[in-house]
Amino acid sequence: MEKIYQLLHALLPSVPVWTVWIAAFLIPIGFIFGVYLTIFAFTTLVERKALGRIQNRYGPNRVGPFGILQPMADGLKILLKEDIVPRAADKFSHFLAPVLIVVPGLLVYLVVPVAPGMVAVDLKIGVLFALAVGTVSVIALFMAGWASRNKFSLLGAMRAVAQVVSYEVPTVMAGVAVIMAAGTLSTLTIVERQGGGILNISNLFVIGGLAESARCPFDLPEAESELIGGYHTEYSGFKFALFQMGEYLAGMAMAGVTVTLFLGGYMGPGSGPGLVGGLISMFWFFGKLTGMIALNIWIRGTWPRLRVDQLMGFAWKVLLPLALVNIVAVGLWHFLTPRPVAWVVTTGWLAIWVVVLTKCNAGAALEKREYRYI
Amino acid sequence: MNIAFWIISAVTVLGALLAVTLRNLVHCVLALILFFIGIAAHYFLLRADFLGAVQILIYVGAVAVLILFAIMLTHNVTGTEGPREVLGVKWWSGSAIAAVLAILLKKAIQGDALSAILPAGAKAHSSAAEIGKALVAGWVVPLEAIAILLTAALIGAVVIALEEIRKSR
Repeated sequence: MEKIYQLLHALLPSVPVWTVWIAAFLIPIGFIFGVYLTIFAFTTLVERKALGRIQNRYGPNRVGPFGILQPMADGLKILLKEDIVPRAADKFSHFLAPVLIVVPGLLVYLVVPVAPGMVAVDLKIGVLFALAVGTVSVIALFMAGWASRNKFSLLGAMRAVAQVVSYEVPTVMAGVAVIMAAGTLSTLTIVERQGGGILNISNLFVIGGLAESARCPFDLPEAESELIGGYHTEYSGFKFALFQMGEYLAGMAMAGVTVTLFLGGYMGPGSGPGLVGGLISMFWFFGKLTGMIALNIWIRGTWPRLRVDQLMGFAWKVLLPLALVNIVAVGLWHFLTPRPVAWVVTTGWLAIWVVVLTKCNAGAALEKREYRYI
Repeated sequence: MNIAFWIISAVTVLGALLAVTLRNLVHCVLALILFFIGIAAHYFLLRADFLGAVQILIYVGAVAVLILFAIMLTHNVTGTEGPREVLGVKWWSGSAIAAVLAILLKKAIQGDALSAILPAGAKAHSSAAEIGKALVAGWVVPLEAIAILLTAALIGAVVIALEEIRKSR
């Protein structure tokens, strides 16, 4: 943002300073709104198409060629729908929740760099900011469920809150490992440090991210077959659309943070400073982001939904210990001096714990049961 | 800077006032969250960005949710039952404690201890690295003591929960 300010100030010296300031604020905001909301709109289309393909049906194909105008049609339809508020609902919270749920998703994009130096706000603590802001959506979920005065909504909200709070811990821990390896909290610097070719893919973070944004197979808060719609059962029209939007934006934000932390962000062949390098960097970033979104859709299409106890057990018994082990592994990797030794020791350490955790978490063999018809 | 300070302060104080005056407990917690976010904004304003982010992560993301959970387990969430006591004994004792605390804090803030750590006119900068170094260098023993205390509390909670499960069987 400061860079944009300086650039604008140099280009237009006669314009009053406060206008330049406002413009410097509005350009990144406009970029985030324009780009990510467009991606969101088309993600819904791609998701429906891909799910259709996976489930052996066509998916939307009526509006425009190949159904490409479907997002616009959806938007129009949902704007024209009646806004229904239950009589017993807590009006204020009921209204505020869908507004609030979009905010954290959008805030995360502030610190996700899309090209060298191209990040809305280069916070020194960017990673922490992204992780912290991402957790605020819990409040909105709870408000939605509680304010609706509906059993299903409340159950969905309680599930959502329990799930997000549980998965927050391993996700943040997985992020800590990256911070340790990179030695910085700034998203921009983390991306630059990954230039050395450390492909630090962490499934932990991806899984945690999926769970935090309540995507399949962790979509228990809105399990249609059990809870109607979960926390947004009592929402209609544009408020419902806001919930969908918040959910997708949060999912995409987690994908963006994953790309930044683990997949090298905008790094790729040809990326670098300057106009051409910057464009290539953006191509790499958005390519990787699209890849992560596609992975999310793929997982949603192919995996069954977990049970509640399995969900919580997975967070606390598998992901959390793994995240802690991972932190120790990064510490070992950082301090052991000859690189090959560090790699061998770290891999061994991780392998031991993976075996131990698998043994500990293996379900007890079912007793032999007999079924008789009397 | 000053305008931002006053706006954020107004929102923060409003949140705190609503948190103690509203009758519906869930509304109170939502107001409390507003207050937490206001405090985080103050930290950001003072360039203590690490504190600000941690404030959001822990207070908004975890503590507020914990309070909400606790409230959902209680009766009388809407606060319609029971007499409404204004200016009672509790109010006076509470405000007396708050006044004493405010005076003590004022003394501590204006005292020499803080100005020794942060000399007047020091340039504001990101605090994450210094906090980290201070925690693992100078304050490692208190940090570990707190860690052990929290672990003990966690284990204690599990033990209590196990006891109840055993009883119910």
